[in-house]
Amino acid sequence: MREKQIDKLKDYKYGFTTDIENIRAPKGLNKEVIEFISKAKKEPKWMLDWRMKAFERLKNLKEPNWQKPKYPKIDYQDIYYYSAPKSTSEKPKNIDELDPKLLETYKKLGIPLQEQQRLNGIAVDAVFDSVSVATTFKDKLNEVGVIFCSISEAIQKHPELVKKYIGSVIPLTDHYFATLNSAVFTDGSFVYIPPGVRCPMELSTYFRINASQTGQFERTLIIADKGSYVSYLEGCTAPMRDENQLHAANVELVALDDAEIKYSTVQNWYPGDEDGKGGIYNFVTKRGLCKGINSKISWTQVETGSAITWKYPSCILQGDNSIGEFYSIAITNNHQKADTGTKMIHLGKNTKSKIISKGISAGFSDMTYRGLVDISSKAKNSTNYTQCDSLLMGNKCGAHTVPYIKNKNPESNIAHEATTSKISEEQLHYCQQRGLNPEEAVGLIVNGFCKEVLQQLPMEFAVEAQKLVGISLEGSVG
Amino acid sequence: MEEQLKIDFEKLLEKSNFSKKNIEIKRKNFNNFIEKGFPNKREENWKFSDLNQIISKNIKNLSFYNDLSKPNKIDQSTFIAGLEHNKLIFVNGRIEKIEFDYEEKNNIEILDDLVLEKPNNANNSLLFLNNAFVSKFFKLIVKKNYSLKKPLVIYNITNKDLVSKSVNLKFDILLEENSSLKLIEFSNDKSTTNFININYNFDVQKNSILKNYKIDNNSNSNIKYYFNNISQDTNSVSEIFLLSSGSEFIKNEINCNLNGKYASAFVNGVFLLNGSKHHEIKTNINHLVENTKSYQLIKSVLEDESKAVYQGKIFVDSKAQKTDGYQLSKAILLNENTEFNAKPELEIYADDVKCSHGSSSGSLNEDSIFYLMSRGLNYKEAKKLLINGFLLDVVEKITDSEIKNLIKNIMSLKQ
Amino acid sequence: MLKIKNLKADIDSKSILNNFNLEIKPGEVHAIMGPNGSGKSTLSNILSGKKGYKVSGEVLFENKNLFELETEERAHKGIFLAFQYPLEIPGVNTNIFLKTSLNAIRKANGEKELDAIEFLKLVKLKAKNLKFDEEKLNRQLNVGFSGGEKKKNEILQMSILNPKLSILDETDSGLDIDALKTVAAGVNSLRKNDNSFLIITHYQRLLDYIKPDYVHVLMNGKIIKSGGPELALELENKGYENFN
Repeated sequence: MREKQIDKLKDYKYGFTTDIENIRAPKGLNKEVIEFISKAKKEPKWMLDWRMKAFERLKNLKEPNWQKPKYPKIDYQDIYYYSAPKSTSEKPKNIDELDPKLLETYKKLGIPLQEQQRLNGIAVDAVFDSVSVATTFKDKLNEVGVIFCSISEAIQKHPELVKKYIGSVIPLTDHYFATLNSAVFTDGSFVYIPPGVRCPMELSTYFRINASQTGQFERTLIIADKGSYVSYLEGCTAPMRDENQLHAANVELVALDDAEIKYSTVQNWYPGDEDGKGGIYNFVTKRGLCKGINSKISWTQVETGSAITWKYPSCILQGDNSIGEFYSIAITNNHQKADTGTKMIHLGKNTKSKIISKGISAGFSDMTYRGLVDISSKAKNSTNYTQCDSLLMGNKCGAHTVPYIKNKNPESNIAHEATTSKISEEQLHYCQQRGLNPEEAVGLIVNGFCKEVLQQLPMEFAVEAQKLVGISLEGSVG
Repeated sequence: MEEQLKIDFEKLLEKSNFSKKNIEIKRKNFNNFIEKGFPNKREENWKFSDLNQIISKNIKNLSFYNDLSKPNKIDQSTFIAGLEHNKLIFVNGRIEKIEFDYEEKNNIEILDDLVLEKPNNANNSLLFLNNAFVSKFFKLIVKKNYSLKKPLVIYNITNKDLVSKSVNLKFDILLEENSSLKLIEFSNDKSTTNFININYNFDVQKNSILKNYKIDNNSNSNIKYYFNNISQDTNSVSEIFLLSSGSEFIKNEINCNLNGKYASAFVNGVFLLNGSKHHEIKTNINHLVENTKSYQLIKSVLEDESKAVYQGKIFVDSKAQKTDGYQLSKAILLNENTEFNAKPELEIYADDVKCSHGSSSGSLNEDSIFYLMSRGLNYKEAKKLLINGFLLDVVEKITDSEIKNLIKNIMSLKQ
Repeated sequence: MLKIKNLKADIDSKSILNNFNLEIKPGEVHAIMGPNGSGKSTLSNILSGKKGYKVSGEVLFENKNLFELETEERAHKGIFLAFQYPLEIPGVNTNIFLKTSLNAIRKANGEKELDAIEFLKLVKLKAKNLKFDEEKLNRQLNVGFSGGEKKKNEILQMSILNPKLSILDETDSGLDIDALKTVAAGVNSLRKNDNSFLIITHYQRLLDYIKPDYVHVLMNGKIIKSGGPELALELENKGYENFN
């Protein structure tokens, strides 16, 4: 049989850099830098105090070391904690005043910000390095009372809401990276949906790391008041660099009585090159609190990028009858490493949770599903269903499943299933006999494997995600 | 406790007749144990069972020296009736009888004067403790091509004379090529609050079969730890069944290395717990070469405030293509204060494998109870019938029919 | 169209086919009959390009050496295999699979790819002709299909992809008499002057409905006798064992 030439080089089409003048805080982690950030954001004193409290606490914390992917020691004094395009030092009043270079960048990423080109039915908050540069459809959302703006703006304009909820789901003292974020967070999105409102469009944040040697510490806070509904999406990309960059975000969700939040992520940070050089360290803390009765939080994630991904979007099911869901596709190729999963903490009565995780590892990569289901003794009549499936491609990679299951309630039921398999020669042969080349065949079969999760994504993103699944595995067959 | 340990250790060396080599190794192990102490929940392996805390809560004034100079009376009533078997009898940790009446003597060998192994790098502090304090270390060899005609029962009997002692036993069992052994480990405890630490090493060579049934069924206040290390060569089979029910605390750790092609390992277990009992099974099944198979099934029925833990891990090396690994744990929680924890883990580095695990826990199905009651059973009878059905499925996995019946009798599962 | 000369095939150093010869001209229908283990499925696997066999000899398809082509390239050139055991592919929608397949082949042949509407129109028509329940096309490929439905699905794919050479590997096994008739009608409707068929089967039954031009008897890896449709009847009467 003829040898097939397969281009092993993975094409990361978001790898470009935007040449733009920055304002940066001096390198390093110290009081002055935190003051610098707070001042640049024109924050009130209570916010600075809160940051300082986190910074004090940080001194007593150690980086966690139980996760499977190990990483070289990070020198926290060798990172820029704040970097913003100079042109945004005064946030432009409207998008047409925005630096054309920024507009061009987002256009290239497929997220046009200008009025006439906006994505239909999706409002976008664009975060570039440490600042939110633009938020679209703000006025339209205002009409129904939805607040969608950068967290920096929210701190100034809606301090009562921010004060009440920030740190209420992820405490200031939670763990090293969450506390680090609390001290130095720069920007992110803020969403408030008033009682009874069904948000009329998808809200979305597009995160872009551009500057080198810069960490991104975004903070997102979403509050769905009684009886409201919101669907929120985030996308992430970064230029190709041969250094490792740190992205340590905190995302907090609060759902009050009868409210529902659907949070979707398509994470495509630069994964490093074929030999594992460079790439983003994606250490993210995401947690949702189903505070009210009948509330629901649903996480969907497609994780294809980053050198190391380490995240566990979780649900605390506090309100009776509340529901938590986690749908995940994680793909690692070349030398990528991922340790991801969820925690479902059942506290209220009649709470339900569902976990569907699909992990695919190829090349020399390593993938771990790690999850916790904890049903407390008070969570009567609660249920969890977990399904974790892994697909391995080749025998240089690893796939691991590490679920922790704790049941303290006799009236509750937990069911967990996991499988590990590979794409069979027969399936490949069948597809090829119908005219598909091996890469198309693998793409098709893998998309089938992931279908249950892909279905959860909003239409526009599902198509994008399907393509991403195929691209991420390029060079892994042949 | 450290003071006590040191005094007891020196006393042991003084009163016993260990070789120089063994004393040296014992000291090393002893120092390692002093350094590490009893494991606690900060260690991942002990996350769900904090042994350090359990020992200090349950045992007052634990002492480590055990005077084995005088023989103990053997209570014959503890013998298994209706089953012809060979016997190895321990009373309060002292060997009292070795009896292989049914076997060809030249095909079996028992050694008891062995050199201990150096502290292993497994960093298991309880193995350090075991090696430091064990008085006799036994090795049973089953010769090539020999199958024991009758089962061997190792009786671990303790009586009321034994209080707050640390008891350490160590066995090596070697099954040479084409041999087989049915081994029942039968515990009967009338003693109170001891820490019993038993280490088994099984070497199962080519084409050999090991069947190991561990029965701990009578209620007692002892704390027990078993470390079972199994190494399997080509085409060998190991079958382990655990009835984990009687003692206050038991952790059974099973580490099985499938080193030869077509080797297979089966671990089946039942937790039947009440009161404040807390039992754990932790398995590490390591598939290291091609075409090996493992199967694990663990079922728990929990009453009162009892707690069961199942940590099961399947590891598949990148060389171990065509591995078939399966793991299932199911638990029924009967009371509000019971707890079931599981960590079924897969660590896989080969792509052509079939591995899966499942775990479920919850209440008895009320609909089934209702159905049975509508057919005339009362609530208690209905519940009993359902629980028996739930457990029977594990007991049915026992391949030796005589022993299967024995265990059914012990568990009152006879229908 | 297809010329096989001196084909030899081994798997794990076991000889399956030996000195196998066959020529199929455009428009012809050939049937190969043989007992279990005679090498029937190996033949269809090799023609479709399944890996794992050691092959020698010559197989020409429209004067091109088949061994130089990948499986999908053979499909692009018009070779279709109706599998004896059609694969289940979880999560993959049947319609999407079919569309991807059709467009891959069209693209390779420099034809315009069909859009969703054109494709659905085509599928609807073909499904109707084959009495194939359209609703099933929205289900996962072959998942939860009965044996008969899977086989019908293969014939539906064949009718949509419109191949030059169709190889039917025991398509009749597992079909009841009604399904058999529908499948045969489907095949017959595709018979044209330039389309050829290779039907691999145990039984004469299917040949009552699809009249072959030639029948070959395959035993121990080679064709031991060739003839017209009457050979199939003779074989049915005598049985394989007494045939020699």
